[in-house]
Amino acid sequence: MPATLVKLHNVRMRYANGDGLDHVNLEMAPGDFVYLVGPTGAGKSTVLKMIYMQEFPNEGYVLVDNYNSMYIKNKEIPHLRRKLGIIFQDFKLLEDRDVFENVAFALRVIGTRRRDIKKKTLRALAEVGLSHKSRKMPHELSGGEQQRVAIARAIVNDPILLLADEPTGNLDPKTAVEIMNILEKLHARGTAILMATHNYELVNSSTRRLVSIKHGRTLN
Amino acid sequence: MINSLFFVLKEAAAGLVRARFAGFVATVTVAISLVLIGIFLIITVNLGRFADNLRSRVELEVFLDDSLDEIRIQELAEKIKRFEGVAEVTFISKEMAVYEYQSLFKEKQQDYFEVLGYNPLPASFRVKLAEGYRNFAGAENLFKHLSAMSEIDEEDIVYRREFLVTLEKYMKVALAADFVVGVILCLSALLLVSNNIRLIILTREKIIETMKLVGATRFFVRMPLYIQGVIEGVLGGALAALFLYALIKLAEFEIAGYIVVDWRIYLMLVNLGLLLGLAGSFSAIRRYL
Repeated sequence: MPATLVKLHNVRMRYANGDGLDHVNLEMAPGDFVYLVGPTGAGKSTVLKMIYMQEFPNEGYVLVDNYNSMYIKNKEIPHLRRKLGIIFQDFKLLEDRDVFENVAFALRVIGTRRRDIKKKTLRALAEVGLSHKSRKMPHELSGGEQQRVAIARAIVNDPILLLADEPTGNLDPKTAVEIMNILEKLHARGTAILMATHNYELVNSSTRRLVSIKHGRTLN
Repeated sequence: MINSLFFVLKEAAAGLVRARFAGFVATVTVAISLVLIGIFLIITVNLGRFADNLRSRVELEVFLDDSLDEIRIQELAEKIKRFEGVAEVTFISKEMAVYEYQSLFKEKQQDYFEVLGYNPLPASFRVKLAEGYRNFAGAENLFKHLSAMSEIDEEDIVYRREFLVTLEKYMKVALAADFVVGVILCLSALLLVSNNIRLIILTREKIIETMKLVGATRFFVRMPLYIQGVIEGVLGGALAALFLYALIKLAEFEIAGYIVVDWRIYLMLVNLGLLLGLAGSFSAIRRYL
């Protein structure tokens, strides 16, 4: 594995409405835990989108593992994303299938063997403490539980980097702590984590590295 | 691989169930369009058959000079047979011409010949055109070859030139109308399938987004949509084939002997449905995914 897991070098990008990023720099090594903090609209989600290559810089480049935004081909993007786990504030669970199928979905769509799907899914659900609710539908779960399902789906493929976009944004403080504990546990196991948040309270109580972003600029 | 196929088929089935009403409407519309296309095809094929039948009767009649003896007539017939586009050359002697004349105009013809005291009707060749030459161009080409022969005068060659020209003109109009109607019907079916796939894409937006985020390749994202389009198209085609078959069975008594329906038309409708489904999916996926 390369010494640098993620690198954003002088990244500049503009949306049609004028928002975007302005010479953003960020570097992460394997196993790092980094908070990306800033107010709403500062460009946190855009940084994450750059990393999973849904958006591309107009200037500068993004390096993730061995993939460079300047040279990556469209057909390589799915392979990059298989190395990442992504969770969102609104969980993005599929309402038409149960917890097990939501997690297994991430494996099914990449053509994993059936035997491995069962083993990996059960392991991921155990990791987030939801083994007993594997046959529940998403609407039968609390917000915290839904986010745990989303985390299980994100880690089921053993990602090298977990991208968390405001994962506690929709949760009460107690549940938010539970989610943070799970992320800490995953980090302790060696998974690098980049978490975007505007919850300064949550970040201030942590000793982790912090990268601030304001008006599309990073302030380390 | 089998797991992947199983997953793709399952997702396609789930997509069809989720957008079942729109899917039903698209299938029925494809079926209606294909029934109309089928009817137009049957009409066209039979129109073609009818025109072929008329064309096969077209022949050039070459009247011969009375001075030509039997040997020269024989030689002439051999020469004509070798021309491009000639299927058959029949010699009608002066006596046979009289016989034909008499059977055509049964009354008083004997008087006519008795008055003249000789047979005024010339001997002739009836030249039938070979298949592929039974059209205005073929007949005209042969006409030029025949009139270039020293033994034959241009005005002694007779054929139904105007009839052929008119027939071809009407056939062209019929085929053009057929083509235009066919294209309009195909396009409307295509738009409906495409719109239904767009609806499926909208109802599956979250699934598609999740698929992309967890690293699904284009095959996994798109294949269920293609399969859905194809299923709708094939079902529409099969429905159209069944309906048309029933319609023709019901009308069999009235149309027997006039209209011939080739069974391959049903197969063609199903294939056309498949193509429409595939093209509809392709256009929706390209625009909305």
